[in-house]
Amino acid sequence: MDTEALPAGSGTTSREATARATVIGFFDAYRARDVERMVELCGDNADFRYVPFEVWGRQRVLHGDGKVCTVGKPIWTALIDAFPDLTNTVTSVRADGEGNVAVQADISGTQTKDFGVIACAGGHYELPHLFLFHVTGHGLIDDVVSYWDNAQWKKQLGWFEVD
Amino acid sequence: MSARKVARQFFDHMQAADVDEILCMVTPDAAVSLVPLQVHGSMVAEGAAYLYELARSFPDLVIRLRRLFVTTDSTAVAEITIEGTQADAFLGAANLEKHVDLDQAWMLEVTPDDRISAVTAYWDSNQLYRRLGVKRLDKITITAR
Repeated sequence: MDTEALPAGSGTTSREATARATVIGFFDAYRARDVERMVELCGDNADFRYVPFEVWGRQRVLHGDGKVCTVGKPIWTALIDAFPDLTNTVTSVRADGEGNVAVQADISGTQTKDFGVIACAGGHYELPHLFLFHVTGHGLIDDVVSYWDNAQWKKQLGWFEVD
Repeated sequence: MSARKVARQFFDHMQAADVDEILCMVTPDAAVSLVPLQVHGSMVAEGAAYLYELARSFPDLVIRLRRLFVTTDSTAVAEITIEGTQADAFLGAANLEKHVDLDQAWMLEVTPDDRISAVTAYWDSNQLYRRLGVKRLDKITITAR
């Protein structure tokens, strides 16, 4: 499905409209699996936080927390590599007049390679996500945060270890 | 009041285990979606059941509001961290008295007369179960100390 930005209220300001347009463009690029375009829509120093992304090692825990250019881009690239038909359906877009945007989106894909601890069993998943963005007055994303349920994701892909 | 104040009050009541006070803040037909639990229903039934279980299982619950903004359709969008020590079974996980901290995102749709008409919550159950000592997602009750 194409992006359907559901309008939230009336009296849309130009700041709000700009932020909405940027974020909708981000999901369009994500749907096209165009990571370079996704990154272009973000500022050079944009912050990135995928809250459920934790890799627990013996010595330390790696979090999906850092910058778009150094953490976000590799994660998006790895996801698309492991799920080459990765796509999204945006179900709601809500914004304020200060650059904050909340997006509910369903992301789905079919696994063709191992991804992190999740061994490839060829499974397909579809999972609701909440993305929270902040967009500058110049229309560039300077903060990306996302929430989803890794337990459901793993179960749909046939992986039951909490890890 | 504003949607921002409504949201702060909602989380204050959640921390204080005042579920009845929360139910006084919602419209009679308020909807709830607890996304990771795949629970979609009403605040007075499914929402209240979750909040009562949370209060019983984490009597020392602390909620830290990390980010709050209100969109033009009067939806309060909040990032919170919940912290507490487990004191009873929670969402099927046995009580190992583990300390839990968990980041969550909530969306509260607020009416013009400051009532909450819909609640949607997101978190990662895998993170929660890891902190509670659960080892397998298909056997939630099996835990490791």
